[in-house]
Amino acid sequence: MSGPLGLGPGGVVAPPASSLRAYLPIVVASVVLALVPLSLGGSRYFLSLGVHLLVVASYAVAFNLVFGSTSQLFLCQGALAGAAAYCSVILGNRYGLPLWLTIPAGVGLAALLGGGLSWVAVSRRLEVIYLGIVTLAFSLVFTNLLLGGRELTGGETGLVVDGGAGTWLRSPAAAYYLFLALLVGHLVVYRAIERSRLGWGFRALRDDEVAAALAGVDVARAKVTAGVVGAAMLGSVGATFAAHEGFVSPTTFAFGEVDVRVLVVLALGGVGTLLGPVVGAVVVTVVDELLRPLGQLRLTVYGVVLVVIFLGFRQGMVRSVRSLWMRAGTRAGPRTD
Amino acid sequence: MALVLDGVAFGLQLALLATGLTLIYGLAGVLNLAHGQLVVAAAMVGAVALGAGAPVLLALGLAVVTAGAAAVLLDVTLLRPVYRLRGQARVLLSLLLTLGVAFAADGLLVHSFPFTRLNLSVATPSVELLGVTVRSASVVASLVAIVALGGLVVLLRTTRVGRAIRSLTQDEEGAQLCGVDPGRTRRLVFVLGGSMAGLVAVTQGLVSSVGATSGLDLTIFALIVTVVGGLGRVSGAVVAGVLLGVVHAVAAFHIGTVLTFVILLVAAIVVILVRPSGILGGAGS
Repeated sequence: MSGPLGLGPGGVVAPPASSLRAYLPIVVASVVLALVPLSLGGSRYFLSLGVHLLVVASYAVAFNLVFGSTSQLFLCQGALAGAAAYCSVILGNRYGLPLWLTIPAGVGLAALLGGGLSWVAVSRRLEVIYLGIVTLAFSLVFTNLLLGGRELTGGETGLVVDGGAGTWLRSPAAAYYLFLALLVGHLVVYRAIERSRLGWGFRALRDDEVAAALAGVDVARAKVTAGVVGAAMLGSVGATFAAHEGFVSPTTFAFGEVDVRVLVVLALGGVGTLLGPVVGAVVVTVVDELLRPLGQLRLTVYGVVLVVIFLGFRQGMVRSVRSLWMRAGTRAGPRTD
Repeated sequence: MALVLDGVAFGLQLALLATGLTLIYGLAGVLNLAHGQLVVAAAMVGAVALGAGAPVLLALGLAVVTAGAAAVLLDVTLLRPVYRLRGQARVLLSLLLTLGVAFAADGLLVHSFPFTRLNLSVATPSVELLGVTVRSASVVASLVAIVALGGLVVLLRTTRVGRAIRSLTQDEEGAQLCGVDPGRTRRLVFVLGGSMAGLVAVTQGLVSSVGATSGLDLTIFALIVTVVGGLGRVSGAVVAGVLLGVVHAVAAFHIGTVLTFVILLVAAIVVILVRPSGILGGAGS
């Protein structure tokens, strides 16, 4: 099977060998993103839009690691991020613990849950569709427990976050750079894993799991590691976002709110590419703003985009641009991917 | 007792909803995540036709035909590239495509029919059944479901087409070698599955009402029942539907709907982990 089950191009591209070339795209992307608030004059509205962009991009990097690298269809990004956020908020509000303790606790919980889901999937040999259904059911269970556990979670109305109130965390400009730092951190981790022995295993098992196992890749361990790291990424963003917003509710982390968007972002940017999540997030955020007057029809646009991508442009924007670039460079040269 | 009867009535509808989904999955390897939107589309067409003064049976007929036609349209257009893939790759691509279709349809339906609801609450005298008073609407809806499910079983068991469907479900290549035309049979199954979704709109309209936003919930319910019954198993879907319907009614009465929904979801997860072929068990699907 090529790519994550026929998604993306068949040939799995290894990251560049030299460190400079491997991390340069991250440096360029972060410099560009760091300059954005200055060019927009630091308006509150654009900054909060920017924060949302960075958050969804970070979620998408995590999804890219779990789905793009190891073909595990996690339909519970929102739930994992939400579990970390609620854990952090509840610990902070109930016991007055500081954020530097509660956020790591939330991240730990998310990592545990993500790793657990991966482990169950691996040990029960779940096919992709069954893992998709299990994680979707997990998402819905999470949302319904939030709604049902009113004393602990505040139910539908959610919770006001005590931690971080009145600090720089709540200022949009500072938060923008905090989330940029988180995104850059995620990208660096993603690339570092790609370049490590683990990343080699990911590429092998993405092509053919049986062959990878025969070649000495510990498939189970690779998948669970991806689940743990991806979930920790989701959790760190979710918990930090809660501290920044000062408010959490079930809709903040609902399937329709997070997972749908992340899927569109990653599919648009390109599954299995380093900067795909960032490019996809930029496009989706801009288009989303432009389409705001359409109201409910925005969902239709997302749906059509998904269908078109999966029908015709499964390689995503990053690869399409890259192959155009290469064709332009080598004139009549063959496409590399 | 009243609860159990209520549950059976609800369960029959769940069964109707899930057989459509499981039939299509079993034969075509397509897990149609837009199944709930088929129901909603049918309901909206029915409601609009009723609003325009069409006779009830014509309006409901139109509703069922709409869902069947929409399903077969999906099969012959968007899903065509899917059939070039096999096994897991086909399932995944169809899942993502129909998810896109579900969003697109959901946005369109909610946008176009924000206040339309299919509501067939004809004056319903209650009837006495097994010593309990039940709403006659509920009885009619259950009868519709029983006739449809019974008809489906007879079709699958006794007719040539039914044999073709069952053989393709078991072994696509083998059936093809025996002269079964997969494309034609598949279109038939999409018509069948879609029409069953259309019938759900009718029965649901009888007992309560269907609005434009119900799509996702309906898909989720269909998925849960399908999984518990075993993906691709029609008999499993019927049994699981009735069983979960009863569980739903009893649990909702005692512990509330939110926790009941959690119970159903957990049941689906447990079945996948412990017995992926469904509660009726057996090897393969």
